[in-house]
Amino acid sequence: MTWKRICATGDVAENSLKLFDVDGVPILVVNHGGDFRAIPPLCPHMEEPLEQSGICDGRVLTCTKHLWQWDLATNEPGAETGKPLLMYDLEVEGGDIKVFVERELEYEFDDDDDYDDDDSFWDDD
Amino acid sequence: MARNAKQWNTPPDPNRIEWADSRIYSDTEIFEEELEKIWKKVWIPVCHESELPEPYDFRTVSIAREPVIVCRDADDRIRAFLNVCPHRANLIERRPSGSFKDGTPSGNPRNMTCMFHAWQFDMKGRCVHISRGEEGYQDRLSPKDVGLRRLRCEVAFGGMVWVTLDDHIEHSVREWVGSALDCILDPIEAEPLEIFHYHKAIIPSNYKLWHDTNSEFYHDFVHYHNRVTGFNDAYFARKNMTFDNGHVVVGSFEVRYDQYEGFESREALSFPTLPPNNWYMIDIFPGINYNLRGSALRVDLMTPLSADEVMIEFRGLGLKKDTEEERLTRIRHHNTIWGPMGRNLHEDLLSITGQGVTMRPGTEPRRILHGRHENETIHDEIGMRHYYDEWSRWMGRPLHNPTNRPAMAAE
Repeated sequence: MTWKRICATGDVAENSLKLFDVDGVPILVVNHGGDFRAIPPLCPHMEEPLEQSGICDGRVLTCTKHLWQWDLATNEPGAETGKPLLMYDLEVEGGDIKVFVERELEYEFDDDDDYDDDDSFWDDD
Repeated sequence: MARNAKQWNTPPDPNRIEWADSRIYSDTEIFEEELEKIWKKVWIPVCHESELPEPYDFRTVSIAREPVIVCRDADDRIRAFLNVCPHRANLIERRPSGSFKDGTPSGNPRNMTCMFHAWQFDMKGRCVHISRGEEGYQDRLSPKDVGLRRLRCEVAFGGMVWVTLDDHIEHSVREWVGSALDCILDPIEAEPLEIFHYHKAIIPSNYKLWHDTNSEFYHDFVHYHNRVTGFNDAYFARKNMTFDNGHVVVGSFEVRYDQYEGFESREALSFPTLPPNNWYMIDIFPGINYNLRGSALRVDLMTPLSADEVMIEFRGLGLKKDTEEERLTRIRHHNTIWGPMGRNLHEDLLSITGQGVTMRPGTEPRRILHGRHENETIHDEIGMRHYYDEWSRWMGRPLHNPTNRPAMAAE
């Protein structure tokens, strides 16, 4: 994949978030004070859809579920925030927003799928 | 001749006619002990697996007052837990059923969340989030210390989800039921089943009175339609069979639905391998009933609420592969017998409601006769006698003097 037009700058209101589908890849566009970021749709903490849980004050994006925060200008995580945001390269050309999508960016969540819980019934002494 | 108090209270000779003291139904201490000694120690089916068909679907129920949640994980496996938060013992999930797929107002997708302080747990019962955990607990408590209480859970006998509160139960569900359900095993296990009917009734009566009703067909006389169309030699000749662990099977026979006014043969939609229009009824200790009438399976589960209150849940099941038309026919077959305007369910419920009136907690002990001997056929009360032999073993209480208090206050 290459640079793709995702939307017009006017499609995402200032200090809001909007979800787009770019050839099957879900991408969340954040307008922070007139600048734009393109990120995966889930909070890296616990897979919360940021389009619903996220609020932007112009610079800081906050997931309201457990208050993880990121400075969108620098992508610095807040003090209690465990992971930085993954970001797609983004360019504004004329009135269009373009993103560079090579592959879908996804966070690693701790899926311990080989967890064997049947033994727990016999753990007591 | 009517009897005076002394005559009324003189028990019959148990060597001539079997009976039980009615305090097995009315005594609140016995009821509490039944929850501890029986209901917390046996396998109880809590719902059908088609009630939680998708990953992250859940169903909440209770066993012996303990709130229980069953949920299906991404690996398609159904697990059961106490629906109790390890933090401050709040009820974690309040809905009767639903999905965790999309999260909740306080919780993230694919987890269950206690709304009180937003602790979260995954479908394997592991705690995956403690709100502001390090700030409050430092290194003294971590998620691995506060998983949910897992419960043994098996899907068996037509897709019912069986749960026990006893971690160290000695037998599997199949060992516990034994061969009692053999008579309908092939029909209910040849194809996946699907629920099409659910309703519940909360009846002011003791739960065992409902099970008694299912264990004998002598109460045919309460059913107007049975009297008019049901009685013939083959009907009375059915055997009432007993099985290990207190289970009972009422023998099969072919029902002539075509002779019922407004009914039709159910042959075309018989469950797989079932002889056409045959009817089987199986009572599983301590209060579960499988009832297969040719084209529709009914499974009743009981939740005893107090000595004189029971919740009965009625489920109707068909084949998952049913076409829309087949399903509608099965539902009609189900409802014409067992629906609110059906042939007999309401009459059964009225019967035990009357017994509930005469055997409220505190009423005087009465002699409950279950001494009919009729060649072990359906009007023989062998099913009740078999059940109460099992009950006595679990409870360590004799049927004639179950409270070890005098049977007659006046004596």
